[in-house]
Amino acid sequence: MKFQSQKVAWLFFATSLVLLALQLVYGFIMGFAHMGYDGLHEWIPFNTARAVHTNLLVVWILSGFMGAAYYIIPEETDRELIAPKLAYVQWAALVIVGVIAIVGFHFNWWEGRKFLEIPRPLDFLVVVDVLLFIFLIGGTIWKGKRRTTTSLVLYFGLLMAALLYLPGMIDFRSHLFDSYYRWWVVHLWVEGVWELIMGGLVAFLLIKLTGVDREIIEKWLYVVVGFTFLSGILGTGHHYYYIGAPKYWLMVGGIFSALEPLAFLGMAMYGIAMARKGGRKHSNRLALVWTLGTCIMSFVGAGFLGFAHTLPQVNLYTHGTLVTAMHGHMAFWGAYGMLVFACMAYMLPELTGRPLFKHSKISEWAFWTSTIGMIAMTGAFAVAGVAQVYLERMSGMDFLDVQEAIEVHFFGLVLAASLFSLGIILFVVDFWRSGLPLGGITLKAEGLPAGGASDVGLEAPEAVG
Amino acid sequence: MLSKSAARAFFLGGTVLTGLVFIGMTVDTHRQAPARTNTAALTDEVKAGHVIWTENNCMGCHTLLGEGAYYAPELTKVISRRGKPWIRAFIKDPEAMFPGRRKMVKYDFTDEQIEHLLTFFEWIEGIDTNGFPADPPYKPVDGPVAAGSLALADAPEKFKALCVACHKVGGKGGIVGPALDDVRARYDRPALDRWIQDPQAVKPGTAMPKLPLSDPERAAIVDYLLGAQ
Ligand code: HEC
Ligand code: HEC
Ligand code: HEM
Ligand code: HEM
Ligand SMILES: [Fe+2]
Repeated sequence: MKFQSQKVAWLFFATSLVLLALQLVYGFIMGFAHMGYDGLHEWIPFNTARAVHTNLLVVWILSGFMGAAYYIIPEETDRELIAPKLAYVQWAALVIVGVIAIVGFHFNWWEGRKFLEIPRPLDFLVVVDVLLFIFLIGGTIWKGKRRTTTSLVLYFGLLMAALLYLPGMIDFRSHLFDSYYRWWVVHLWVEGVWELIMGGLVAFLLIKLTGVDREIIEKWLYVVVGFTFLSGILGTGHHYYYIGAPKYWLMVGGIFSALEPLAFLGMAMYGIAMARKGGRKHSNRLALVWTLGTCIMSFVGAGFLGFAHTLPQVNLYTHGTLVTAMHGHMAFWGAYGMLVFACMAYMLPELTGRPLFKHSKISEWAFWTSTIGMIAMTGAFAVAGVAQVYLERMSGMDFLDVQEAIEVHFFGLVLAASLFSLGIILFVVDFWRSGLPLGGITLKAEGLPAGGASDVGLEAPEAVG
Repeated sequence: MLSKSAARAFFLGGTVLTGLVFIGMTVDTHRQAPARTNTAALTDEVKAGHVIWTENNCMGCHTLLGEGAYYAPELTKVISRRGKPWIRAFIKDPEAMFPGRRKMVKYDFTDEQIEHLLTFFEWIEGIDTNGFPADPPYKPVDGPVAAGSLALADAPEKFKALCVACHKVGGKGGIVGPALDDVRARYDRPALDRWIQDPQAVKPGTAMPKLPLSDPERAAIVDYLLGAQ
């Protein structure tokens, strides 16, 4: 930690973990409901549990991104945040909006629009809050001593994420356009601008953790995010196949979304190549493990499992089944959950001065149990989903009869989810043991080639081997 | 070897190019929407149904056009699958229709609100969805209709409205309950009447619901099933 104002990141990370824990509780409620134990139905019907589960997910990931940005931007621009006090205000506003929304979901106060259930009046608060965040980050970059590619890509991603929230707020008479523009938020977030954010964060982590030259890392960053947008924008078409949009979306969406895995493959190869290049001496091995973990799991969950149902011929039968839930879990956790954890694993030791996340056994176990748990959860969803597609969509069995036939796989899901949750608990234990951020300033420059042209981002052209 | 500025140009160029194509296709989608989604039929009632749909987050359990949650049936074709009279009876008291099974929220909708929902579903069903949901390719084909089967055409109106959603007669109808062509071989009049009047009382926990029928309506159905008509 070089700058006092970076400390605000800790608050966002702590918030992230609290919200994640709550998300898991609601995940279990749904897992049990799918098994046939819906004892909470009167108080927390399935649609409430689901809205809470997915909205908490989005908020904790965003909170993690914001925390990471508040940590990175001062370091990249080499100055304090322009108005650290406002960052605390922005944090408080985020928490307040989140809490009101979550409570409201229990009282039928929402908009039934998947992933965007937050009711309209709160949408405006979200916009104000995010604008404040964008202002603080942007202002710091503007006034900063240097402008690095990493910080610009990160900023562009965050700014676009904020702007893309707006089309989701237009009120359409037609259900078609209600859906059409909902995907501008949901799809263009996770398969567009959030990947940009991911690229920026991974680049920062790789620069810090591998010590590879910044110029090389940032050049490949452009290539990876270039593939992302080239395929991801028109790839939105894979949500337009069957909602009433014209038939050409089958072709365009099919072709371009089938290319999307390339961006994730690129990210995975890039991460592994840079780690190799950096050699074996890492200042924080576990943070690098999480970083490579996110690069690889995002390829499997988003790239590979996304491809599995993205062609229109397949999607015709899998559209809106548990196959989608299988992909959704591994993609979200692999690409964005593990990314936030990677940021925490690197930044917390810097912030608190306690190196637990670098090498403690508990942290090591946290990685492996959560990763294996998530793979097993994906497997359980996959079996349930494929059985559903085969029995309901292909053989024409009644919906509820099929659901009863696949209840047993949700027992498997709950077991796997318990393993996953154990991993999260272990991570939280180390977060707790690490304590609050340091009071004073520590000028630590571990793991990066101290100073030097490469770190400052001046022109240092070098060919990649 | 690729330089950083070339990589940046690749990123910016690709983004701008595909972005422009995407916006062009969006404009065209708006242009084609009136024909594909029958905008002329998008009345205030349909809109009111849409509002009920979103305000209660039905999408948090169901899918519609394949979008939503995976806990409750896909509703794109629900009107032709179940028929309006059945849905009216169902929404008034979902648990009575499927006792002991997965639960839907019991909403206290007025009759008018239910009609709005139905017109909304009807409008949805009219959308050109490029073939979703597909006909199940491996669905067992109905065998030749056995001699002595009942003819659906002869059935009382209430039977067509409420029972066919779950039962087949003469090879036509739903698949939740067994085909009813041969009940007369297994039931006498009092047993059948008692069953239809209150299935739960006869067999607690059965998936057959108690349906809103007046005495004469029930008698007509019993007559029909026993072949007395
Ligand atoms: C808590 C989850 C839940 C919510 C919320 C919900 N439903 Fe349902 N719905 C179900 C389940 C489960 C079924 C399957 C039948 C049953 O067991 O009751 C069902 C069945 C139906 C059916 C009959 C479908 C068929 O093919 O048999 C219709 C129509 C329906 N719901 C409409 C609605 C509408 C309209 C709303 C919103 C106002 C809604 N549902 C909200 C769970 C839900
Ligand atoms: C929601 C679906 C549903 C509806 C609607 C429904 N049934 Fe049923 N019915 C069932 C199921 C499921 C069974 C099997 C019950 C069992 O064995 O527990 C059944 C069983 C029966 C049986 C016994 C069949 C046998 O071979 O033993 C008769 C008779 C019957 N239903 C008549 C009717 C009539 C008449 C109506 C309309 C008034 C009707 N059902 C509406 C689901 C339904
Ligand atoms: C990190 C990136 C990704 C995340 C977080 C993610 C997440 C999700 C989620 C949550 C859904 C469900 C959306 C809904 O129905 O409302 C979904 C749907 C879908 N995703 Fe992804 N996804 C990612 C990347 C990809 C990629 C790269 C592909 C294609 C190669 C893909 C293909 C699909 C398809 C086809 C659907 C629609 C499923 C259906 O028809 O029900 N996804 N994704
Ligand atoms: C305790 C662990 C968890 C359990 C038991 C669980 C269970 C579930 C269930 C049952 C659903 C609803 C599927 C349906 O509509 O029927 C769901 C939805 C979802 N969950 Fe989880 N979940 C867990 C953790 C997570 C985590 C860690 C993430 C992401 C990082 C996540 C992301 C999602 C997403 C994106 C959806 C929506 C999927 C879609 O619409 O396709 N869940 N979860
Ligand atoms: Fe997508």
